[in-house]
Amino acid sequence: MASGLRTWLGIAAGALMLAALFMVFVYVPTEAEEGIVQRIFYFHVPIAWVTFAAFGLVAISGVFYLWMRQQVWDELGYAAAETGMVFCTLMLVTGSIWAKPIWGTWWTWDSRLTTCLILWLLYGGYLVLRVLADDTPETARLAAVVGIVGALDVPIIIVSVRLWRTIHPAVLVTRQGSHGLEDPRMIATLLVAMAAFTAFFCWLLWLRFATLRAGARVARLKLRLALAAAGD
Amino acid sequence: MAAMLAILRKDLRLELRSGLSTTALVSLSLLILVVLVFALPASVAGAEPAAGALWVAMIFSGMLGATRALSAERENGCIRALLQSPVDPATLYAAKLAAAFIFMAVAEIAAILMMVLFFNLDFDLRIIRLAPVILLGALGFAALATLLAAISGHTRASDLLLPMLAVPMFVPALIAGVKASAAALAGEPIAAMGAWIKILVAFDVLFVASGYLLFEFVAGED
Repeated sequence: MASGLRTWLGIAAGALMLAALFMVFVYVPTEAEEGIVQRIFYFHVPIAWVTFAAFGLVAISGVFYLWMRQQVWDELGYAAAETGMVFCTLMLVTGSIWAKPIWGTWWTWDSRLTTCLILWLLYGGYLVLRVLADDTPETARLAAVVGIVGALDVPIIIVSVRLWRTIHPAVLVTRQGSHGLEDPRMIATLLVAMAAFTAFFCWLLWLRFATLRAGARVARLKLRLALAAAGD
Repeated sequence: MAAMLAILRKDLRLELRSGLSTTALVSLSLLILVVLVFALPASVAGAEPAAGALWVAMIFSGMLGATRALSAERENGCIRALLQSPVDPATLYAAKLAAAFIFMAVAEIAAILMMVLFFNLDFDLRIIRLAPVILLGALGFAALATLLAAISGHTRASDLLLPMLAVPMFVPALIAGVKASAAALAGEPIAAMGAWIKILVAFDVLFVASGYLLFEFVAGED
């Protein structure tokens, strides 16, 4: 039963999350330069990975929807966008919380923060389209196109923003790269956190997707009922 | 090809007779430039703020132009006629894109003139070097806006949705365009702008191709 599998995924995600929390707050050593604040890294990076993966999923669902015209792809894309938006917001928030003690400011236009903000705006545009348009196959097509074009744009956005920031570097020096994970415990913690957030995302996505599917099914049943009543 | 030219000729002839789109684009560009003169610091003059102001004007007047072009078609039911004709949607997109690009290019000439005046620049060869950058930007924006205007036109608040979709998607071309424009106006050699030009070209190729391939999924009527 699909919902049984989903429940197990939820339990697994919960267990992984507990393990990750333990590792982040107890197991992993404090980083030398940034101190305790650096622990946000183990949340921020998995959330960022999930955000970009979700965006890719929106685009891929869009391609499959335009190709196969099956509603399931549209529902998957919509669920991925909504869930992805939550994680994108979390990414900006955790990034901001991390920035304040390290860089002394809540926000700065460094290349990665800027790219994340643009991504957030792209997600927002997709969702506003969904909200403003009616629930029709036409809207599904429109949303699919927006998702695809947005995803195609992301690589160019990343390149251009990075070039923008290299030529006019941010006032505050930022650290690029993997932040030098020397200790193997750090790598282990990061991997567990990645697994935890990926599982969590998949579980949320599944829940949302199931809700959308159920809603579509209810709409179909209502239609049949109305037609049957009209036939009498 | 012939079909595309026929549709393009129709749009250009309409515009020549009424002059509405070009007037709207030029007026809005002028107004935006004036607002920016008041909004920016009093000492603003020179290449960088001028380039920025020019692109702000381009984007917002371009969005207006794209919305108007498609709403005009919808009003008269022309879009239904176009879709029922043997023209395939990709050709229709190409024609709309060409029209939007031409209108934007013409409006940009006026905008550049105003920019030179308002930001205390000189009328010299540097303006010539600005031209390819602006044309690349106008092409990219026309490609993007034509596709997105078709999408947002299907919704209730189309004038909200078009900027919400267009602005984040246009960011790479905006960054590259402003930086290249500022470099051109400051008299820097082409080599300095090389990376930005490449980004603009990549952007244009991406969006013209995407629009051409995907327009059939978004063209339609309510």
